[in-house]
Amino acid sequence: MTPPTLSNFLLIGLFLWLPATHGWSQSATFSLTTNQGSTLEIFSQLDPLAINSIHSWELVLYTADGAPLHGAQMSVVGGMPDHDHGLPTSPVVTGEIAPGRYLLEGVRFHMPGRWLLTFDITIAQGRESATLELQL
Amino acid sequence: MTAVLGLLAWRLLPDPLPAEWTPAQRALIQSLSLSRLPATPVDPSNAVAESELAAQLGHRLYFDQRLSGNGEVACANCHQPQNYFTDDRTLAVGTQTGFRHTPSLVGLAYSPWYYWDGRKDSQWAQALAPIEAGHEHNLDRLQVVRLIAEDPHYKSQYEALFKPLPALPAAPRAASPTGDELLRRNWESLGTDLQLDINRVFANIGKTLAAYQRKIKPGRSRFDDYADSLTESSAVIPGTLLSKDELAGLALFIDEAQCISCHNGPLLTNFEFHNTGVLAIAGQLPPMGRYDGIRLARQDEFNCLGQYSDAEPGQCTELRFAKDDNELVGAHKTPTLRNITETAPYMHGGQITDLEAVMEHYNEAPTSMLSHNEAKPLALRSVQLKQLEAFVTTLTAPLQTEQKWLKPPDG
Repeated sequence: MTPPTLSNFLLIGLFLWLPATHGWSQSATFSLTTNQGSTLEIFSQLDPLAINSIHSWELVLYTADGAPLHGAQMSVVGGMPDHDHGLPTSPVVTGEIAPGRYLLEGVRFHMPGRWLLTFDITIAQGRESATLELQL
Repeated sequence: MTAVLGLLAWRLLPDPLPAEWTPAQRALIQSLSLSRLPATPVDPSNAVAESELAAQLGHRLYFDQRLSGNGEVACANCHQPQNYFTDDRTLAVGTQTGFRHTPSLVGLAYSPWYYWDGRKDSQWAQALAPIEAGHEHNLDRLQVVRLIAEDPHYKSQYEALFKPLPALPAAPRAASPTGDELLRRNWESLGTDLQLDINRVFANIGKTLAAYQRKIKPGRSRFDDYADSLTESSAVIPGTLLSKDELAGLALFIDEAQCISCHNGPLLTNFEFHNTGVLAIAGQLPPMGRYDGIRLARQDEFNCLGQYSDAEPGQCTELRFAKDDNELVGAHKTPTLRNITETAPYMHGGQITDLEAVMEHYNEAPTSMLSHNEAKPLALRSVQLKQLEAFVTTLTAPLQTEQKWLKPPDG
């Protein structure tokens, strides 16, 4: 049996990648920089993201040096600016599941289109915020 | 004269169809196909949701008019299988004329919320309320439990599914915490333990009705075949599946008319709550809609977090993270557009009689009587409104549900 070549690997990779990027849903991992230079990484447990399904996100917060930021109070508000309305649910950060890793529960989107979510973060050093824009 | 003819032509002559759908349009169209409908969501609050025996008991109860104060009202009186589980009335009629238009039950197992204002968070909790509503079945929970206990067929079916029925006192015959003063006084006289037992049986009855109603699913329509055909080609060609007007209506539906904002996914609904400026129901004040509905759902003893639910609290995500703000004033649940041609009249109070008037309503987007209308005026031309109407006719099809569930049980 011939060992798989690099081009075979690339082809397989392309096929695996295509369904996730095709159509009306999108990748479920985001990386944001807060207005104070910290990093907020977002991992949706619904992957790819899609409308009409309630789910949780993991939010990973760390400093510019890569140190986890634990003990943060986090909240999120969001909506569709083009439709002048908010999220259909009230997602809540319900706990810090590991240092700097937080669980956001109750996320659901109910319309295709452009969504904006603003994360408000309070840590010992002060307040920070970051905004996520996504297209569903 | 030329100006008049020009205006008429502008209003009435259709635009040419695009040569092909863009990748984004194609993805949107395919997202509406029943082929994309996932398996029926589990209901962790209902341990018998998937039980065939529970569905059989629920089926029998669904058609049983003894489940009413006057012996004439069953669930099937208003949610009629032959009418896609709605009726053709403006307002529902039980023992009296009610306050809302009968919503269809087709595909409702996919909804996280029930009632036009979302006052119930499960199909089983929903099923209980009409039984005790004075204008609907006008019965009480103690008499419901008596019906199960005194009918040998019901009793054996029930006890095959759940714990044995509690022993009931000879008197009072009727009791409920939600009825009139006599019913409430009788309820108090029962004592806490028996109240809990009766509530548990009553909740279980709802769970069997839900197990039955979970089987009510839409069937594939011409539209679904068309949407699925787009895997082979993106060309917009009128044919045997969709006509020129229907295709033009579909293009408007997903784009300029923005119907897809709320009527999305394979059931053509997001099961969310929106204020679309529909006039108040004649003789009634404009309702607060979901603003009140979420408060009622939270207070409901039969909700997902309550003691009669089979769910762990962590599984009640919709209830725990439900929104509660002023955006919900006057908002009502988006209905499915599947079979919409067969379920007139429309809206939560049946205020709009036909699809032509529905399209005109959304084209105009009138000011809401309460809070604000989320929809914006569309400024579509007459011909475009007709095309939208043509498109929604492609969503009608016989139900996918087995015939035996669409009629009263034998025997």
